[in-house]
Amino acid sequence: MTDGDLVARTVSFCRALRERGFPVGVEHSADAVRALAAGTLESRESARLALRCVLVSRPEDLRAFDDLFEDFFSASPEEPQPENRVKFPFPEAPRDAEEPPSLARWLKQGEEGPDDDDPEEARSASDMPALARKDFRDFTDEELEQIERIAARIARKLAARPSRRWKAARRGARVDLRRTMRSHPDFTELRFRERRTRKTRIVAICDVSGSMDLYSRFLLQFLYALQGSFARVESFVFSTELRRITESLRERPYASALRGLRDSVRDWSGGTRIGACLSTFESEWGRLVDRRTVVIILSDGWDTGDPAELSRALEALRMRARRLIWLNPLLGSPGYEPLTQGMQAALPHLSVFASAHNLDSLRALERHLLA
Amino acid sequence: MIAPVADILEQLSREAYVADPAIATSLHLAQVLEKPLLVEGPAGVGKTEIAKALSAILSADLIRLQCYEGLDAASALYEWNYARQLLHIRLHEKNASHATEAEIFSEPFLLKRPLLQAIAHSGKPPVLLIDEIDRADEEFEAFLLEVLSDFQVTVPELGTLRANGRPRVVLTSNRSRELSDALRRRCLYLWIDHPTFEKELSIVRRKVPGAGDALAAEIVGFVQRLRRAKVAKIPGVSETLDWAAALVALHASKLDHAMVAETLGCVLKDESDLRKVRDEMEAGRLPLGATA
Repeated sequence: MTDGDLVARTVSFCRALRERGFPVGVEHSADAVRALAAGTLESRESARLALRCVLVSRPEDLRAFDDLFEDFFSASPEEPQPENRVKFPFPEAPRDAEEPPSLARWLKQGEEGPDDDDPEEARSASDMPALARKDFRDFTDEELEQIERIAARIARKLAARPSRRWKAARRGARVDLRRTMRSHPDFTELRFRERRTRKTRIVAICDVSGSMDLYSRFLLQFLYALQGSFARVESFVFSTELRRITESLRERPYASALRGLRDSVRDWSGGTRIGACLSTFESEWGRLVDRRTVVIILSDGWDTGDPAELSRALEALRMRARRLIWLNPLLGSPGYEPLTQGMQAALPHLSVFASAHNLDSLRALERHLLA
Repeated sequence: MIAPVADILEQLSREAYVADPAIATSLHLAQVLEKPLLVEGPAGVGKTEIAKALSAILSADLIRLQCYEGLDAASALYEWNYARQLLHIRLHEKNASHATEAEIFSEPFLLKRPLLQAIAHSGKPPVLLIDEIDRADEEFEAFLLEVLSDFQVTVPELGTLRANGRPRVVLTSNRSRELSDALRRRCLYLWIDHPTFEKELSIVRRKVPGAGDALAAEIVGFVQRLRRAKVAKIPGVSETLDWAAALVALHASKLDHAMVAETLGCVLKDESDLRKVRDEMEAGRLPLGATA
């Protein structure tokens, strides 16, 4: 392989990684070439280690990297043609008419900005008791604004507990020497500081399987609103497997974040494996949960897996978290009792078991999050 | 293996740091590409030790910034020594002379915190260890990015301070929070997992020479089985080393059930884990033995 070949091959390797969602930029291609030029080309293994060090930035990506490296730098350098082979189509999401009304509207709002001159908007859900108790099943797109507003209110209220951080204050427990010296070195006036309030962290794990299809749309919207107001909301969705969507929810503009999510959610109308997914969460992401973290699970509890596994995973989570909240929209249906095996296994470990099927139940969630 | 990487491996081993080619390669590249190295992995696998070993083989000073929640620029970069400034002013008042502003805002009154120490360091560029960056707030991460990109700091009263040579930067994270993509993009990356049986055995042999071959192998074998037993707090290498040292101090020459039961607290730091493992051992499901 000549130097030119090597550069071209490395650059197209970087491109293939980028197409698979690796955060690899142009500067990384340059670094990759420099790394190989720094003497690591001697063997395939040392080249692999070097490129991995430069191009991978999180452990979840290590395996995908190794696989792609295998393909690209295999023994016969002629084949395969990477440009033709490695293709990840990202089709424009069709904006068809039978779109769920909520998402369609939301998408539109993301693109056009919120509609400000609607007089209805000023009213709160409590002025409209019928609306507050209405099952999300029956929601129309106009009513979705209420959800966003309530979610924003919950988010504001969560900023409650004092932390070790300081912030400037008019008067307070401690004199802020730094700011005093800078503004009034003669001490004619003092500056103060006080403890900052600390934000509760939230980890939300949302069921998007077929049985939850009805509510998942709304629940994702709720997560999205929370995400926007908080520094620390980690969101996950699951059906038969778990996926972290925190990053996709952070994407701007709204429209593209939603389109991406909607597509992945649509793929997942299979069964549910709550136990297995929560175990995966516990072992791979459990480190995100600490004594300040409220874990919210949104699911109807139709577990097709092993109830013992679910029970184990929840127990472990309960130990780590401040509170473990399970939201089940079915709880809002008259006559529903949590008799499924999954729900039975889960109940002993929960701090709160509540419904999430209408605005009233959502408002009740405020209380649980603050407790 | 290429010469510089083999070199680093050998030097690390002289510093009693048992490395593998992946670790040596990243240290080599951090040197060549002059980029910070982000080291992630579970607790207790020797992430911090890498920076210490690196400073030893470069014979460079090690400057450490321990991160915590609420860490801000004043504790990471610099702060004026206000108490000393006040004292200085008062002294001058007594002598009926005036303390000029230039006097009290000069270097003797500047408290250099680790980042500024690394920048203002004279002589050989130091190794800057930014430990447990995941514990600091996201705002601090953004501030850090700025410092790491050009290694210069402007103190309004003093002017701009610039690093003579780029410090070697090692960041560690236990992943209690996901770091920003911006930070990840800026760094080389190294993931260290729990060591294999062979690697851990050679670490124990290096660090606790008092443990004989047989005992060391039994200790490592048992810890490796514990990790697979899905305990809540998975023991790291440092726990293995503590345990080995404890057993050596107790003059153990091989593991037996009574000895393990007495000293298990060195390895497992969680009451429910201890209970679970004791039950497993009594039921004979967790054998003692010198295999992986």
